[in-house]
Amino acid sequence: MAKDGTLKAALRRQKGVDIKKAKQKKHQKHAEKERKQKRSSEVDIGALQEAIAGKLDELDDEDAAAGGAQLDELANGEAEGWETDESEDAADGGLNVETFEDESESDSDEDETFYTAAGGSPVKKAQTNGAAAADEENDEDEDEDIPLSDIESLASDDKGDVIPHQRLTINNTAALTRSLKSFALPASLPFAAVQSVTSAEPVQINDVEDDLNRELAFYRQSLDAVKEARAKLKKEGVPFTRPADYFAEMVKSEEQMGKVRTKMLDEAARKKASTDARRQRDLKKFGKAVQVAKLQERDKAKRDTLDKINALKRKRQSGNDALTANEDDRFDVALEDAAETDKKDRASRKASGAGPNRKRQKKDEKFGFGGKKKFAKSNDAKSAGDMSGFSVKRMKGGKPGGGKQRPGKNRRAKV
Amino acid sequence: MSAYKSFSKQKPNGQKQNGDEDTRPKNRQRVLMLSSRGVTHRHRHLLADLNSLLPHSRKDAKLDTKTQLGQLNELADLYSCNNVMFFEARKGKDLYVWLSKPPNGPTIKFHANNLHTMEELNFTGNCLKGSRPVLSFDAAFEKQAHTRVIKELLTHTFGVPQTSRKIKPFVDHVMGFTIADNKIWIRCYQIAETESAKAKPGDGDEDAAPTATVAKAGKGETNVSLVEIGPRFVLTPIVILEGSFGGPVIYENKEFVSPNQIRSDLRKAKAGRYNTRAEGTVERKAKKRDMGLRTGEGPRTVDELDERVLFA
Repeated sequence: MAKDGTLKAALRRQKGVDIKKAKQKKHQKHAEKERKQKRSSEVDIGALQEAIAGKLDELDDEDAAAGGAQLDELANGEAEGWETDESEDAADGGLNVETFEDESESDSDEDETFYTAAGGSPVKKAQTNGAAAADEENDEDEDEDIPLSDIESLASDDKGDVIPHQRLTINNTAALTRSLKSFALPASLPFAAVQSVTSAEPVQINDVEDDLNRELAFYRQSLDAVKEARAKLKKEGVPFTRPADYFAEMVKSEEQMGKVRTKMLDEAARKKASTDARRQRDLKKFGKAVQVAKLQERDKAKRDTLDKINALKRKRQSGNDALTANEDDRFDVALEDAAETDKKDRASRKASGAGPNRKRQKKDEKFGFGGKKKFAKSNDAKSAGDMSGFSVKRMKGGKPGGGKQRPGKNRRAKV
Repeated sequence: MSAYKSFSKQKPNGQKQNGDEDTRPKNRQRVLMLSSRGVTHRHRHLLADLNSLLPHSRKDAKLDTKTQLGQLNELADLYSCNNVMFFEARKGKDLYVWLSKPPNGPTIKFHANNLHTMEELNFTGNCLKGSRPVLSFDAAFEKQAHTRVIKELLTHTFGVPQTSRKIKPFVDHVMGFTIADNKIWIRCYQIAETESAKAKPGDGDEDAAPTATVAKAGKGETNVSLVEIGPRFVLTPIVILEGSFGGPVIYENKEFVSPNQIRSDLRKAKAGRYNTRAEGTVERKAKKRDMGLRTGEGPRTVDELDERVLFA
């Protein structure tokens, strides 16, 4: 408190501002009396001091612009009723620093005035006047007064046209706690009456847009709650698990569950089909390679056997090898036999000179046999020199029938 | 009639008045659920889902007025409800959810977004119609005064009281309320209990003979897992009123930007592009005129080196 006072004094000295002393004194006295009764608000004062310090720096930087600025330091944001009182004083160009400490639960009619006066927005008024107005609510989050989430999303050059809009924070802690007390369930209720579980520590979600982690955090919170509730309910003897033979109407109808099931089945089938298709594709790709390999192998085997046979043949031709002689002889006999008989046959037929059989002869007569067929119809020297079919008369005189001559072009044009 | 009697005896917070034989405090809640005109199908389905999940709720016909919400207090009194959940639809797209404790308040107004109904989510979870949920709250609810109020009101609205007539005796689902990004995210899960492979006979839970494991299968060692049921939605608190649909504002969320404002900002941003372009054109013209580059305009003076002077 003492600290606070010195700070205020320093502020006043620096700015040379006169404050409506009498009124403030009254309020302060009132506040102090209240505070003695009520909880001490060290945190609030700390926040207040920080706020004042921050504001001072800001003002030093830009105090020329903020000539008509009004700086309202309102403890807990409760004293808005007074703020409106002082806004008129601030209009004359003086810098008005009001510091009200934690003003909890004053008489109720004064509370009412806070609420009703809080509807207006002095910020906007000040902006229209052209003065840079700095309105500070003494919340924990002072730096969040100005930012608007959607302004950041706009392009930077478009920001000029958008007037930032802002709401006054009304956070009447005293009224809130009183209201809570008025309707809260009694704490003496057994757990089974409400079945409400609060997690041990707040759920930390770094990125709200990250669906997977966010849902996981929610799931964990609920799962922990269920475990705790289950233990407590068992202790109180409340039935928890539904027995397998207990059937009753469910939230989702059978029809809806059937729809869900078919959807899942469809999805599974789709997934299976797609994996099958992929496997088939892969197999096809792989199968081609296998086929090529098989063909190559077959080719190679063929080549190998041929090579072997050739090698054997070569060996046989050159081989007088004693070891293989017998084998070769036996093999050669058969081969030579066939060749021999064939040769003999042909020789004998040639020798007889009888030619082919009768049927063949007849066919040859009918269809022709032997002789060159190529160029049979093309000219040779003799046929080219043959002028028997040529007549000058026919060349000059036109057709032997001698029809009417075609009229000339001129005459034709005239007709 | 008996219901009327029992409700007429209670105080707004669900506590019975003293003087009754049963002096133990009771949790008695009844929720009146209704929407305004102009809700979309999705809002309507969400309301139906919540109604099916909350056996102590009573659905009523759409309310004709959007301005005189005080009528809701009378309606709640008529149906002997001590909670009201009112869906206010605006412009056929925005949904505002009012939770209130008539007749004395408080009232909280939320903006609901990211709505997904049970039907469209196609989750496999399911639960008994009328079973009482476990309510799971984030610890962040306890940190500030307004979130404490919100938590209490959510407890009243979504917590099914033991005295409700339509309840079923087992607990098979959990509703999760989490604060993230200054919004309240609501989820609903089924509690799926599966027996673990080996049931320990020496477990503290099971003081019966080991032969009873088969008979009391439910009491053995079980694994608890959750399956989501739906619906999903996110509530942004806007304002808390001290009374029921009226009275002074005791909390207002300054970070809430109304969807109308966002839409208009987007439109203005688009207009801003045109405005800057138009201004640029004007400035360019003025600059050219000042430089004397426009015929017949501007401050161009005839100096001694001008052609007209030189060759006069």
